[in-house]
Amino acid sequence: MKLTSASSTRAVPTVRRSPWWSFHRDGPLGYLLISPSLLFLLFMLAYPFVIAIILSLSQKRLGGPITFVGFDNFAKLFATTRFWLTVKNSLVYTGGALLFKFAGGLALAQLLNREFFGKRLATALVLLPWIIPSVFSTLAWWWMLDPANSIINIMFKRWGMITTSIPFLVDATWAMGSLIFLNVWRGVPFFAITFLAALQTVPDELHEASKIDGANAWQRFWRVSFPLIIPVVIIVVLISTISTLADFEVPYLLTKGGPRDATMLFGLLSYNYALGVGQLGIGAAVSLAMLPFLAVLVILALVQVRRET
Amino acid sequence: MRQSALRRFLNALFLPYLPLLIVLFVLLFPFYWMVLTSLKDLKELFDYTHNPLWVHAPSLDNYRFLFEKVTFGSWAINSLWVSAVTTVISLVLSVAGGYTLARLRFRGVTTIGLLIFITYLVPRTVMFIPLAQVLAQIGLLGKIGALTVVYPTFLIPFCTWLLTGYFRTIPIEPEECAMIDGCSRIGAAIRITLPMAVPGILTAGIFAFTLSWNELLYALVYVSGEGNKTLPVGLISNLAQRDFFNWGPLMAGATLGSIPVMLVYFYFMDHYVTGLTSGAVKG
Repeated sequence: MKLTSASSTRAVPTVRRSPWWSFHRDGPLGYLLISPSLLFLLFMLAYPFVIAIILSLSQKRLGGPITFVGFDNFAKLFATTRFWLTVKNSLVYTGGALLFKFAGGLALAQLLNREFFGKRLATALVLLPWIIPSVFSTLAWWWMLDPANSIINIMFKRWGMITTSIPFLVDATWAMGSLIFLNVWRGVPFFAITFLAALQTVPDELHEASKIDGANAWQRFWRVSFPLIIPVVIIVVLISTISTLADFEVPYLLTKGGPRDATMLFGLLSYNYALGVGQLGIGAAVSLAMLPFLAVLVILALVQVRRET
Repeated sequence: MRQSALRRFLNALFLPYLPLLIVLFVLLFPFYWMVLTSLKDLKELFDYTHNPLWVHAPSLDNYRFLFEKVTFGSWAINSLWVSAVTTVISLVLSVAGGYTLARLRFRGVTTIGLLIFITYLVPRTVMFIPLAQVLAQIGLLGKIGALTVVYPTFLIPFCTWLLTGYFRTIPIEPEECAMIDGCSRIGAAIRITLPMAVPGILTAGIFAFTLSWNELLYALVYVSGEGNKTLPVGLISNLAQRDFFNWGPLMAGATLGSIPVMLVYFYFMDHYVTGLTSGAVKG
């Protein structure tokens, strides 16, 4: 990485320095290669983002005209208990899921970070829940948690572990628990494999040395390995926090925000306003209400990425 | 201090085999149950007098249902088309972008890299309402073409990020040697570095394809009409009505939707894990 393209001209002194517009120089070639992506993202992400801000400050029904109303949408939104319930739910969902994904991912990575027969197969199988498209695996979970025909309830009853069915999707607390579990089930493999890759970069000599110094396995992990993989941990946790906070697919399939809004999240609420009652303005306001949380996370992620590059 | 064979066996049993087996059971049971359910006929599906964890009279009725009673084939073709087109578009742009961000040094390159990283972090739930307005303006709202325009908005940032990480792991010396031997800058990039980046490109491609194949929110909102439904939307809107769930065909559809992804994954697994972690770890 220390050698850049400038060194190509330096390495061969006889080569004439190319003119400024030449694609043999980094600048023009770089702009040529990156501008299609940049222009596309400008038109399909930056521009709609401005539209989102305008919409959130306007009254707009599906198919109707846009009328500017200032912060009315936000005022209306903040006056509903449903919105604050959504904020609370989102924080519980994101916090709970991240905690278990982090702890589970670390434990699983540590479990896999040793030599044993069948390691390759085990690693491959562990990653499956993350590989299989979530829409399809969520359908399977939906069927497994179905109020009347949950195989989990059926088997637990057969084995005499429970007498009444567990209300997985019917009871408010269980429904939130099920959602968090599903997110963890799908996320843990990714956490584990990424942490494992990072753990494998920790030099063996460090472990040998600390072993000689009398550190036990627990100390070796927290004092030697963990500090070295912190950069990876931070970036994975931050990115996962953002996608969990803004989750849509799994909650939409599994609970649609119910029972009685107990699992209503930002994405679902925004969808309900926009598609359910056709209030695009309020829908946009809901998704922008996520911004303060997102902004903090994005800035933290940027700081981390900058520090690394 | 030689350990006895029994001691070694017990050690291996508790670390890692026993915990690993429990974890794998929880991680994989849903797939077993999905495939199993798809092979049960309606009679067996709700028959709990036999052991429900096995199928006693396997039948392909559920799969037949998908092609005879609903237009599963058309959903699959729509999904396949959208995923293939968006994957190719995104890959071409991301390879160019990733190479640029990893290798070229010019004014503004760091800022551009950070901007693209930010777009990677923008969730779809923030964009789905305003993007509908953009699609309406360009006349694609409601058509399947809407998805081919919209999916690259999350595929390009993701693939660019992953490929930037991958390009950084490729040594620069071969490319420089080629240039010293008279290759042009682009020539060296295409002939030397690109072939070495194939595992990373493959990973990005598989990911992009899976992400498109799996997408639900945009497909639900932007596309209308029975003939335009993608696989996830078709399955959910036609087989999972509020009043009646066709669990058998639903699981058959989920199985068919998962199998291609699984096959590709097992075939390219080694590339996959390397590509994934080099992007995530070093990106």
